[in-house]
Amino acid sequence: MKRICSLLLALAILLSLCACKKLPESSESILYAMDTQMDFRLYGDDDGAAAQSLGDLIAGLELELSATDNRSDLSMLNRLGSSTNADILALLRAAQTLSARTDGALDPTIYPLVKLWGFTADAYRIPREEELESTLKLVGLSRVHLYDDHVELDEDTMLDFGALAKGYAADLCRAELEKRQLTGILSLGGNIQTVGEKPDKTPWTIGVQDPDDPAAYVVTLAVEGTRAVVTSGDYQRYFEYDGTRYCHIFDPATGCPVQGELRSVTVVAESGLLADGLSTALFVMGYDKGEALWRESDDFECIWLFSDGSVRLTQGLEQAASGCAFTVVRR
Amino acid sequence: MKTRSWILLLSALALVLGLIVLVQQLTARPAGTALVYSDGALVARLDLSADTRLRVDYAGGWNILVVENGAIRVEEASCPDGDCMRQGAKSGGAPIICLPNHLSIRFTDEGYDGVSR
Repeated sequence: MKRICSLLLALAILLSLCACKKLPESSESILYAMDTQMDFRLYGDDDGAAAQSLGDLIAGLELELSATDNRSDLSMLNRLGSSTNADILALLRAAQTLSARTDGALDPTIYPLVKLWGFTADAYRIPREEELESTLKLVGLSRVHLYDDHVELDEDTMLDFGALAKGYAADLCRAELEKRQLTGILSLGGNIQTVGEKPDKTPWTIGVQDPDDPAAYVVTLAVEGTRAVVTSGDYQRYFEYDGTRYCHIFDPATGCPVQGELRSVTVVAESGLLADGLSTALFVMGYDKGEALWRESDDFECIWLFSDGSVRLTQGLEQAASGCAFTVVRR
Repeated sequence: MKTRSWILLLSALALVLGLIVLVQQLTARPAGTALVYSDGALVARLDLSADTRLRVDYAGGWNILVVENGAIRVEEASCPDGDCMRQGAKSGGAPIICLPNHLSIRFTDEGYDGVSR
């Protein structure tokens, strides 16, 4: 009996000590880059070295890829017509692949349109028809000549990686954290990238913002492991004129901001670059073409939020999603 | 096993469970606090149960934060778009962000790991 009590007491002490064991502390940091706020929550980065490394990585990318900073490699490309910058070349290769996959819905050569409508200087305007026609002639990936070690642009062609840069940065950040064997969650201006598992092994809880209420969520996702969750919508940057909203996402075919049945599209994929590019492209394509693309793909899942408030999501997210009524799109 | 032994065994297990719960309660993070960040640096922890008013300045810009009725909101701001004020009064969930003034208000009981927007 004494032996049993001693064993039980030892067990009680041992289990209590186990309960005292703390989960790894998370370190949180905020930085401002790429015209947005970026938040990092990292587990195990006790000396802050990883967060510093991510900050340096993003700052470096911004110096290369900002279309509005005259000093950037991208601005130089847009002025001079050629570049050897490795990140620009990588983004262009990805853009070519995504453009082909989305029938041209993703197109980084739309920068002349972005400028024409005033989105680069917050001086919004509706262009005249003839301005639109002449500017559309400057748009199209056929005006970009990509070689192994450099790129050349046709005259007056200008690039903007707004639909890809944050996703590209997310992939590089993920690789850095994986190299350091750290886990965490990154928000790059609302582009979410989870890396590995949470220390308590529960899923990452990701809210998809309600377009009409920044404090509310349309749907909640329980995401396992490493995933990118990216949303494109008509509420992020826009202006209104005469009762019509003109958002910052352009249809390369028409030269105009997208106006249609969708308020937002959220893509979940392992790659941040893929999720970023596809969320924009699917918003441009509309629901029917977007659903068709999903059916012929196996590397992403999708949530469509319609103007009437209805939600459709692909069957790979059915178990992960909660918080609203939705229709599941099945294969 | 004798009845007395079973009683002792169950009592010990109950003790263990009670200790586990107690330790978890003692190490739990307090709820109802807003963390105010200016340009990435934590500048204030505001108890949402205590009404208060706070001005945060950054690079010539400013935001007036008000804690009232258990929630925090940006009441006034120098930013050109006013998005931070439109986010309303919150006590949890996604952070309130004023991008022009590099202001971020986060919550200790966020409930969400991230917000895709």
